[in-house]
Amino acid sequence: MAEIILDKVSKSFGSVRVINEVYLTIQSGEFVVFLGPSGSGKSTLLRMIAGLETIDDGRLLIGGKESQTLPPGQRNVAMVFQNYALYPHMTVRDNMAFGLRNIKMAAPEVERRVQDAARMLEMDALLDRRPSELSGGQRQRVAIGRAIVKEPAAFLFDEPLSNLDAALRVRTRVELAELHQRMNSTMIYVTHDQTEAMTMSDRIVILNDCRIEQIGTPMEVYTRPASRFVAGFIGSPSMNFLKGSYKDGAMTLLDGSRIAARVAVPEADTYELGIRPEAVKVCEGEGDTKGQVKVVEHLGERTLVHVHLSDGSAIVAQDGGRSQVQPGDEVALRFDISELHLFDSSGKAWHAE
Amino acid sequence: MTASSARQINLVGGIITLLTLIIAILWAFPIYWGIVSSLKPENEVVRPYIELWPETLTFEHYIFALTETQIGRWYINSIATAVGATILTISTSMLVGYALSQLRFPLRRPLYWLILASFMVPTQTLIINHFVLVANMGLLNTWAGIILPQLINPVVIIVYKQFFDQVPRDFREAAVMDNAGEFRILFKVYMPMNWGVTTALAIVTFIWSWNSFLWPFLAVTKTEMMTITVGITQVSDAFGVYYASQLAAAVLAGLPVALAYLLFQRRVTQAITLSAGIKG
Repeated sequence: MAEIILDKVSKSFGSVRVINEVYLTIQSGEFVVFLGPSGSGKSTLLRMIAGLETIDDGRLLIGGKESQTLPPGQRNVAMVFQNYALYPHMTVRDNMAFGLRNIKMAAPEVERRVQDAARMLEMDALLDRRPSELSGGQRQRVAIGRAIVKEPAAFLFDEPLSNLDAALRVRTRVELAELHQRMNSTMIYVTHDQTEAMTMSDRIVILNDCRIEQIGTPMEVYTRPASRFVAGFIGSPSMNFLKGSYKDGAMTLLDGSRIAARVAVPEADTYELGIRPEAVKVCEGEGDTKGQVKVVEHLGERTLVHVHLSDGSAIVAQDGGRSQVQPGDEVALRFDISELHLFDSSGKAWHAE
Repeated sequence: MTASSARQINLVGGIITLLTLIIAILWAFPIYWGIVSSLKPENEVVRPYIELWPETLTFEHYIFALTETQIGRWYINSIATAVGATILTISTSMLVGYALSQLRFPLRRPLYWLILASFMVPTQTLIINHFVLVANMGLLNTWAGIILPQLINPVVIIVYKQFFDQVPRDFREAAVMDNAGEFRILFKVYMPMNWGVTTALAIVTFIWSWNSFLWPFLAVTKTEMMTITVGITQVSDAFGVYYASQLAAAVLAGLPVALAYLLFQRRVTQAITLSAGIKG
């Protein structure tokens, strides 16, 4: 278990910058998720920590030790690969022991660690099987076991759940969170799945376009996104964005409705209003604006109502689980103005007070 | 499918089967003829008409080949040189193939092109150089002299490279994270994942080496150092060529390869398919 510090770390592939001056401190024992769309550089950043990609510029400190030039095996980190990368010709036991035997660890100690890890992951019975005789979920456990036996300073996970089916993914997610609590070790986890990020992490690092957009706890990035990108990326269904003009503490939308916005922003810029679907409610009587219902999605405990405003802009609102709203209905919408966000022309976010 | 189109397919299938059969007979006939001739007395062999079965069946030529020639010695020479060439070719080619496929070093690509280009050079054009080199090294009439030039075998390197290229990169990375050095990655991860290709390549290399004639023929002048393919040429005397005896020796020479083929049929076919696209 160790602290990991990235200090102005950069990387290029040829002339293309893929990681641009990243600063990041991961506390000892923290579960950090790198979240971002494909090509955002999240996997590259993880592989740079692992040592599978070189660091062109900047420093990497693992447990206080400068590690940017160390070979992967000497960084005291263990990685779980997306495709597990279990050696197909070795048994589960040999797969887990391989890394320990490579550093010439004494056989009884190797066996003890393998047994401990197998017990922890409840796969004692599988030790003499080969990967081809295991299910996807079991392979996943072996891959994690292979990391655990090394007792590393940090665990690195590269989209480890993406090859599992939906039900197994949910279960493994919980197991991983439990494992983290039990082992209390530093974990870095790469995913493009925001549910995984929100549910498992202590902090989320959101990457976009080769740089960090925001670092924060799941609720921070959800309630106070730092930029329009983060606001749109986090949350499902995603945040509503409405164009308009801001003047004197109110936002005038394109359909003419005025939304009071208690947001301290410089007036000179142009702004876009952002609001999450759960902060837009279908209401009786006069609302903040109104529109025509296009689609109704019943999710059981709540109902998502897709509405077109009179200027044609689309907005998703929320209604109760037993909503009677029908497509084609004219509905009034009320905005919870305490959950408003404004985004300036550069994408920077301003939050309602 | 209509009845007429089914009949058409049957007809096409029939023609193909017939063609295959004819080609198989054409191909197998010389072998059959060789074996049958080796079982005839010498005077029957030279008769001007075709006799598909010996009038007098005799094993005298086999007895002659086994007792009057140094065939035992030749077998030993052939086995030693073929096994030696196989082991050395496989072990060196595996290392080169791995380096070309997995390591990043300056001039890697030009080196690969050089190896590819070496196909264009037929062995025959190099054979004088080989002879002078081996003679200067004092290795004529030795096993080492027979083996050395046979180790130049780019096909094996290229097949290995291609197979190592196909191993997903994750395995290498996992092994690197597991603190494995290059040799351990090669011998503990890449080789075990490619045993099939290693056995296949070993078998074809052995067969190529066993069947090689031109080089061993030049490198060896002493009868007791000859490989079996070269030894066959010795089954004659001052009065001329004895076809039946030579054929008997040839059948004995081909026997181990035929047996190896029957034992490892699938692997050999696989190896030939592997190298088919490459071997010039």
